[in-house]
Amino acid sequence: MTATEPEMSTRLRVLTRLGFWGSLLAGLLLPWTIMLSVDIFVRHIPFARAWRSFSLHLFTPGYNFFLIGVLTAVPFVVLAVVILLHLGTAPVQHALVPRRRALGLACAGLGMLAHAGRTHAEVLIHPDAQGALAYLYLPIVLLAILPVGYGLGRILATMLLPRPSA
Amino acid sequence: MTSSSISSTVLTAHEIKRHLLGLILFIGLLGLWYWLSTGTRAVPTLIEMLQDDDPSTRIVAAEQLGQIGPAAQAAVPSLLAQAMRDGSQHANTTAAGALKSIKLSAARQVMTHFIARLHNPDAQQRRTACAVLGSLGPIAKPAVPALLAMAQDADELVRRNALMALASIGIPSPLITAALLDGLRDSSSLVRQTAVTQFAFTVPLTQPIVAALTPLQEGPDKAIATLARSALDKPKPGDATQIESLGMMVQHSPARDYALHQLAQLGPAAGEALLPILPLLGDEQPLIRYLASEAIGAMGAAAKPALQRLQERMQDSDPVVREAIADAVASIESGTTVVTEPSAHETHP
Repeated sequence: MTATEPEMSTRLRVLTRLGFWGSLLAGLLLPWTIMLSVDIFVRHIPFARAWRSFSLHLFTPGYNFFLIGVLTAVPFVVLAVVILLHLGTAPVQHALVPRRRALGLACAGLGMLAHAGRTHAEVLIHPDAQGALAYLYLPIVLLAILPVGYGLGRILATMLLPRPSA
Repeated sequence: MTSSSISSTVLTAHEIKRHLLGLILFIGLLGLWYWLSTGTRAVPTLIEMLQDDDPSTRIVAAEQLGQIGPAAQAAVPSLLAQAMRDGSQHANTTAAGALKSIKLSAARQVMTHFIARLHNPDAQQRRTACAVLGSLGPIAKPAVPALLAMAQDADELVRRNALMALASIGIPSPLITAALLDGLRDSSSLVRQTAVTQFAFTVPLTQPIVAALTPLQEGPDKAIATLARSALDKPKPGDATQIESLGMMVQHSPARDYALHQLAQLGPAAGEALLPILPLLGDEQPLIRYLASEAIGAMGAAAKPALQRLQERMQDSDPVVREAIADAVASIESGTTVVTEPSAHETHP
């Protein structure tokens, strides 16, 4: 059973909104979640102490967890705007167009999340003197992953969602 | 029928605009959170944190108050209490370090308190006293004679902390360099290593230092040999490029205190940097005015063109800066560097 056009339109509208806000929140919260997780699961620090230490260092010069979160969030803000303007403006009459765009953007978002997550975890688990530089390069790398991930997603979409024969 | 149901796109133009406005609001809220949590707005919260049971909270709060600088005057009583009475040495040193950026006379109060503790029969008390005096940096210049005595203490950790404190104070450079050079011949390898570390990372090189470090490069102790090589890789005495770069650094906010401190240690050799230092005598931060006066004073006769500007600043609002200016004037007029003599209560028993 296939979805009707209004159902499809509603789903896409929800997906676009979720993608937009999800991207913003994920970009900002991902580094902070990883910082807390590394303290709790790798360093075996009790949650209450890990949370206290985290909140203490949010604005402390030399740590600045807040700015680390904001720096990582910047490419995700760009992704959110792309979702809004690219997926949000897709024509609903041609269901294939928004679905292919959605798959492209999902690939870009997942690729960015995976790379950001891996980088943050690496820096925290294997700290070294130059580790903090990763936080500066990460936004640039994530911005580069966005079009690459989108392109791969579109290729995948072409294979998985073939154009219906006339 | 709603507008979205008749829209030909996934979202209507109106919805897209609303989401973009939401994004701007989100960014604005983050900005507001940052603004409220930093600078002078954070002072009341940070003062509360200084009363926390957890030492790490008190330490972080003190560090942040130090970064805020003179605008955190309201925190001075709590920081004084933490510097002088807290049971954690790290909490003492961070509070003392913060005070030097907020109020010089309060930092001097801490100095006086800990100079007296240098005579304590308990070695741990003497170690802490040395560490706190070191955290005050060049503001603790009057503590140098007492710390020089501590560099001969029977306890090796006291001697180590005393050498670290002396290197951190840095001025007057000749006395401190002599103590550190003595430290290179200490019976304890820990103290010898501490002394060479100060030459590698903190104290600028002079000719006697180069002469003392050169043979250590081939010495039997690998750690000391490596540190000696690192020290000798630093700019050599009389290196004009070093003075030029420090002169440029004093004009850029984040590195001004470091550059002024280095220039003050270089003494008359730093004369070339006099012009960029002069405007800093009127800086809004007392620490910068103090360091500028010290750097000029250390130049001796080479700083004669600064005499008029120094005399204009003799009525500085900060008593510690006034004292440094008076010393600088005396040093320039006599053509020598003024070395603070130990007062009666600062001498070792």
